[in-house]
Amino acid sequence: MRDRIILDGGMGTMLQAAGLGLGERPDLFGLKHPDVVERVQRSYVEAGSQVLYANTFGTNAHKLEGTGYTVEEVVSANVATARRAAGGKAKVALDVGPIGELLEPLGMLSFEKAYEIYAQVVRAGAACGVDLIIFETMTDLYEVRAAVLAAKENSDLPVWTTMSFEASGRTFTGTTVAAMALTLTGLGVDALGINCSLGPKELAPLVEELRRWTDLPVIVKPNAGMPDPATGEYSMGAEEFGRHMAEFPKLGASIFGGCCGTNPDFIRALANGSVQAVPEAEDVKERKLFRGVCSAGQVAQFGGVRVIGERINPTGKKRFQQALRDGDMNYIMERAIEQADAGADILDINVGLPGIREAEMMTRVVKAVQSVVTLPLQIDSSDPEAIEAGLRVCNGRAIVNSVNGEQEVLEKVLPIVKKYGAAVVGLTMDKGGIPETAEARIEIAERILAAAERYGIAREDVLIDALTLTISAQQSQAKETLKAVRYIHEKMGLHCVLGVSNISFGLPERIHITAGFLMQAMCCGLDFPIVNPNQKEIMDMVFSHRALFGEDMDCAAYIERFAGAVSEKTLPATASPAEMSIEKAVLKGLKQEVANLTEQYLETMSELDVINQKLIPALDIVGEKYEKQQIFLPQLINAANAACAGFDLIKTRIAGRGGENLSKGKIVMATVEGDIHDIGKNIVRVVLENYGYQVIDLGRDVPVNTVVETVLRERVFLVGLSALMTTTVSSMRKTIEALRKSGHPCKIFVGGAVLTESYAMEIGADYYAKDAKASADIAKEVLG
Amino acid sequence: MTGRIRSDFRIGYCRMEENMQARLTKLNENEILLYLGYRGQEIPVQLKEQIERCQEEVMAAAQPRLIWRRIPIDSPLFSALRLEGEDIQSLLLGCHEAVLMAVTLGQGIDRLLARNSVSNMADAVIMDACASTAIENVADHFEEDLRAEVEAEGLYLTDRFSPGYGDLPISTQKQLCAALDTERKIGLSLSASMLMIPGKSVTAILGISNTRKVLRKRGCESCSLFRNCMYRKEGRNCHER
Repeated sequence: MRDRIILDGGMGTMLQAAGLGLGERPDLFGLKHPDVVERVQRSYVEAGSQVLYANTFGTNAHKLEGTGYTVEEVVSANVATARRAAGGKAKVALDVGPIGELLEPLGMLSFEKAYEIYAQVVRAGAACGVDLIIFETMTDLYEVRAAVLAAKENSDLPVWTTMSFEASGRTFTGTTVAAMALTLTGLGVDALGINCSLGPKELAPLVEELRRWTDLPVIVKPNAGMPDPATGEYSMGAEEFGRHMAEFPKLGASIFGGCCGTNPDFIRALANGSVQAVPEAEDVKERKLFRGVCSAGQVAQFGGVRVIGERINPTGKKRFQQALRDGDMNYIMERAIEQADAGADILDINVGLPGIREAEMMTRVVKAVQSVVTLPLQIDSSDPEAIEAGLRVCNGRAIVNSVNGEQEVLEKVLPIVKKYGAAVVGLTMDKGGIPETAEARIEIAERILAAAERYGIAREDVLIDALTLTISAQQSQAKETLKAVRYIHEKMGLHCVLGVSNISFGLPERIHITAGFLMQAMCCGLDFPIVNPNQKEIMDMVFSHRALFGEDMDCAAYIERFAGAVSEKTLPATASPAEMSIEKAVLKGLKQEVANLTEQYLETMSELDVINQKLIPALDIVGEKYEKQQIFLPQLINAANAACAGFDLIKTRIAGRGGENLSKGKIVMATVEGDIHDIGKNIVRVVLENYGYQVIDLGRDVPVNTVVETVLRERVFLVGLSALMTTTVSSMRKTIEALRKSGHPCKIFVGGAVLTESYAMEIGADYYAKDAKASADIAKEVLG
Repeated sequence: MTGRIRSDFRIGYCRMEENMQARLTKLNENEILLYLGYRGQEIPVQLKEQIERCQEEVMAAAQPRLIWRRIPIDSPLFSALRLEGEDIQSLLLGCHEAVLMAVTLGQGIDRLLARNSVSNMADAVIMDACASTAIENVADHFEEDLRAEVEAEGLYLTDRFSPGYGDLPISTQKQLCAALDTERKIGLSLSASMLMIPGKSVTAILGISNTRKVLRKRGCESCSLFRNCMYRKEGRNCHER
């Protein structure tokens, strides 16, 4: 039998009725009128609340800024009030809500800063002896992760979390119920659930969904129905509320309370019998939970083939290595988007490269990748520090790739896997290398599984990689690998991972071997192939397998993929290079044609000549037409994008031979501190890159110091700053002043919607760029 | 007694509840082109298709949400807003009620734009224009619906006026978002530098009066693009196109 726990009800409306002014902060009101708060809270205890939420919902350093109060004094005063109201009859919870500023990537608050803000609140609460910590009304899973980590690392108290969902089953930031359950169950919270958002009627399907994904106690704390949009008032009565709440124990929830619009009558209705304890038979033991890994908005459910994209990995990829060394996140983000579009379910992230601080780079790349795709991630490293860095900032539940049979590795990595609640890949090798027989590999798999279970990692979360060896070198090994996969899948009942492409290394037309091996391995039980999803043949195999194995219901996905497919032979031929000039191809924004022509030119011309004699003159023509208003903005950028296809080809070629840098000079670009409108800056970046400049894009909301430090470190002589708001032009001015003060003789151009030529001069810029074309002209003038 | 008065009020509000959902309808393509700096050039077929495709993606990603409150001007809630500037005073002159509103397209649009800024900048620019058109569309629909309701009560509604128009400071957004509890109700938050997140959002104030007021001229000064308009920078306006 799971204990039934009754929480308290609404606080804000009760306090308003008792004299809280509109716009006044409840926690500060509590400081001045502890008696009023105590009275309200005591009425909840009398109604049957077993847990009182201290009046600390909005208490944090961010929200208290400028009030003259510290987090510590507000927390301790309000906790003391709750403790008095509880009178030993109820537990007192530190109640913690959202910080009030949105986290990265969409907002400007960093994950690390959010952690610090929560850590302070947690320490303050723990110091005055609260019984537990509750994070509630959260909408951003990333923020909840920061909060839970802060609670776990700064106290030993039980941690409960509840988030607010819309009827769609998502929060405002797109977090799904399943993602919340997977992530927070993994992080080791003690109970989780849903509060606020909706009335009890609307919450039922969400609670059902939640119970599919977690075996933790489930909390339900709804509003008193739906509010009137014009007045914000709730209409549901206590009795009706209690009637609806009676459904939740049947759905497996065991902790109940009320949120907005509820009062002690509502709690009394709950305590006096509307919600009962959860009978054992309906409890978790017999249930088969859904499992998987996730980002905040997307789950890759275990059971069936889930493709892991392998392209974010510098091994053997000169262009990728260059991007890591240059800190070129755009290149890496493009690789992520490409794989997502191609149908990957999970993305592997590997940033190991000599000369790169792996942990630091892992943090940066994970943040960059999850800012543009919503796929779950696999953190791929052998360095425990890099693994932890990746897991810490990963917004969701990840896979760790990998451990192996070595005791030392298991002891170092498994505690990290457990702490962040990740799944883990175990390679069937150890100090003695890769065993040649399937039997020996299976033995290592068993050893890894046993170790994982010792650390409290569920067997469903242990994924075994029986290792693919190259048939051109060790032909007999393919069969051993398949044999091991079959055993691990069928006899051990574990999930299987394989890096597939390695099978065909050194052979011509590798794709046939790779795709063939993939098909055979999936047939043996491989469910997590690590592959290049951009190869059509590979994904074709995956879609075929899913149809053959009944994972693709009614072959719907297969039909969708191939029904409209036209055989390549029947496609109209693209214009042959002879008919298509580079000018025309760029002007019309035809990527493939530009790439084809570039390739053709490279047969007889040097890279530099192709850039200077072909691509740039073509872009110049486009720029001129833009200036004369013969074409408009989307066409200018389409042209730049097309030219990009040519530049990419050249860059890859040069990187491939470790060759010289053809850059015409470096330019630092940034959207200034406090501003996140970066579309204008990004347009300029694309255009400048296509004129052959190396753009160091510092992103948006860039602190003054970062700009100055980068300019000095990279010896950059041209800086472009962007700001869209009148409110942020002041940080543009500050950035310019700091650059001047540094004594570095760089030129500065500025742009952005609110700027004009005279305004630009007034804040000390050298140039005003009214558009992307003007930026290119400025770069030409300054850097040549 | 108070209870009864409140329930009398409710009759009007309930009717509103049914009609006043955030509404997003087909976008005006001329408006999209306007945001893109279009000046009558020939639009090739591929570009036309690209714009249509971008528009579809924006419409699919948009999750329009609306929150609004109708409050008496002599109420403490209204005075707590402490609205600065003369323009808002003149807008509300003769009004006995004010309407505070906030609409947003949701974070899905921000994510769509971020992703396309990396993978296809031209799409990103076009989608940005579509999204700007879309949020105006949602705000316009609310205004229309509200106007119909207000006029059915025999009252009159002013234009909507947003922080940043005229001399109403951008920082007014802070009071509006707090009064409407936008963070909790529609997922709209403000950065320290007064940027709204999600980016495609609008907050505004409207007035309700017993007598018809002359609506302000639809001109540059009362346009949300006032500070950013590329046409205005060139000393022109969008009507001249």
